[in-house]
Amino acid sequence: MRLLSSLSFRLTLLYALVFAASLALLLGLYYLVRVRAPLEEVKSDIRAEAQRILNSTGNAASPALSRVLEGRKRPAGGRTPYHILLSRDGWVLTKNLPSWPMFDGRRWLTIEADTFSSGEDSDHMALVLDERLPDGSRLMIGRDIEDLRQRQETLVEAARWLLAGGVLFGLLGGILMSRAIGDRIESINSTARRVMSGDLSERIPTHGSGDDFDRLAETLNVMLNRIQHLLESIRRVSDSVAHELRTPLARLHADLSELNASIVPEQRAHAEAAVAEAEKVIGLFDAVLRIGRVESIRDSVDMGEVDFSALLSDAAEMFGPSAEEKDLRFEVAIAPGLCVLGNRNLLFQAVGNILDNAIKYAPDGGWVEITAGESSNEVSLYIADNGLGIPADQRMNVFERFVRLPHAFNVPGLGLGLSFVKVVVDAHNSQISFEDANPGVRVRWRLCRLNFEDGPPSKAAG
Amino acid sequence: MQILLVEDDERVAAYVAKGLREEGHIVSRCGDGRSGLIQATTEDYDLIVLDRMLPGVDGMTILQTLRTIGNTTPILMLTALSDVEERVRGLRSGADDYLSKPFAFSELAARVDALARRPSAATEPSQLSIADLEIDLLGRMVKRAEKRIDLTPREFRLLEVLVRNANRVVTRSMLLEKVWDYSFDPQTNIVDQFMSKLRQKIDREFSSPLIHTVRGTGYVIRVDQ
Repeated sequence: MRLLSSLSFRLTLLYALVFAASLALLLGLYYLVRVRAPLEEVKSDIRAEAQRILNSTGNAASPALSRVLEGRKRPAGGRTPYHILLSRDGWVLTKNLPSWPMFDGRRWLTIEADTFSSGEDSDHMALVLDERLPDGSRLMIGRDIEDLRQRQETLVEAARWLLAGGVLFGLLGGILMSRAIGDRIESINSTARRVMSGDLSERIPTHGSGDDFDRLAETLNVMLNRIQHLLESIRRVSDSVAHELRTPLARLHADLSELNASIVPEQRAHAEAAVAEAEKVIGLFDAVLRIGRVESIRDSVDMGEVDFSALLSDAAEMFGPSAEEKDLRFEVAIAPGLCVLGNRNLLFQAVGNILDNAIKYAPDGGWVEITAGESSNEVSLYIADNGLGIPADQRMNVFERFVRLPHAFNVPGLGLGLSFVKVVVDAHNSQISFEDANPGVRVRWRLCRLNFEDGPPSKAAG
Repeated sequence: MQILLVEDDERVAAYVAKGLREEGHIVSRCGDGRSGLIQATTEDYDLIVLDRMLPGVDGMTILQTLRTIGNTTPILMLTALSDVEERVRGLRSGADDYLSKPFAFSELAARVDALARRPSAATEPSQLSIADLEIDLLGRMVKRAEKRIDLTPREFRLLEVLVRNANRVVTRSMLLEKVWDYSFDPQTNIVDQFMSKLRQKIDREFSSPLIHTVRGTGYVIRVDQ
């Protein structure tokens, strides 16, 4: 259960227990002072009284003793006296209690002293000292402790309610508190997750109360600012390096091309190779810049309704000849009417990159599969091949720029295709993942589904 | 043809101007945006080659200004920004073509040619032909020597672009832009693959091939003498 695993809930649970324990301690103390101590006092009073009476009447059952017993008065505001005197044979000599138990050696008894006087049945409790006198007679002498009994009962009742209530409120408070704290932590958590998924502009909301969580959030936000700043400057540096180098490269290309046109045909091969090399480097820079560009405008990419089915069919058609060249089984199953919100040029380029990879990595005579369909809220595209695949621990790395898998070094490429795919995926708030195609890899791209609202999407979008 | 070249990079400008002059065009050069705009509005040119980023007045501003005042001179934008979106934005703003630096001169020349002879919309033909090849644009039918040839829609479009530019070189990137309705950067020789299929259907059974490869640049459809 999630609640139980939450630290704040466990803390409040502990707190509720401590609270209940201190409540119990308090009640116990009250019991000692208000019930136990008076009871002891009554006991010692009874003991002293019995001693006094027996001393004055000779420590044996006698009419004098009976008289003294019957003559005991209830002191004003005090406790009603009770007694029973039995002869050695068990005859009642005198009594003002209705019943008594058999002698069993216990010195202190509590006996019900139900009396019926002036039409009222009063149900009292008496504390009684049970004493066997030296002559074999049995003296029970005691006092009314109904007030103490009632107090004890009230106390027990109160303890029951207090403890139950305390635990209940403790639990309730715990749940509420862990909710409140949990919400704050969850907001930090979800922000962190969004940041991890690539949205570096995300910040943790603060409540403005300046509490611990606000301070934590502020610290984390400062940290995020710093990370974002660092990443942006790295990106800026690499982008401006690419950009700054592009212009001299363009001139180099122009010079070489001009040279190429003016030299004797025998030397042209070298010049042409140089031009081709320059073009390759420029292509590389362009690829880096293109990724940087989409990344920098990820929140402001021109979006429109895109007929994804048509786009995928176009892409499949475009790569058909490449697949044919490698003698691949090229299977295309695209559900009609798929529609997403996006930039069709970026989407096309990204789908093209994935397809290009699939065809590149599939072995001659192998297969490539394009499947696309939709569920209630998303459009899924799968592109699978039976090539080398991507080891599970490398799957996140392949989105990094210039990352090429060690086992695929003989396949030409720059290691930028999937980096571009990833920035397009992010710009579309979509998800991409890799699955095993055994052998090979299946790329799964999940996009937000869009309903055709005003007829089919316009082709001009994007 | 009178061409205005607005480009601040001295070397690129010299390279382009030299090449265009060699092709037989008359080229005027401007090194900054302000004088470029003045030249473009005061003189009458057949084509303007305009750099996207210029000191003074930006290339995009010149383009928008010219289009706003009703100047319809074809404009070929040059840009150092190799960005798909940039291209789309440029074309939307009224540029007739968009070329990113660096480019092979042959690429620029092919595009200049295509722009110069761009037919006006009013004279849109319903039929195109070269030698014994006939294309019925309305019926989407292709015949060579009265024999019907089945083409896929993409192959049809490819052939159409070639024939519309008959005797002129069409570069691979021009074909990509015109035949596929996506602006993107193919990593493989996709145009060549489609072209080889098209050539099989158009030329294989006939003694005189019509489609020719122009090495390092693209393709041309013409009748070989």
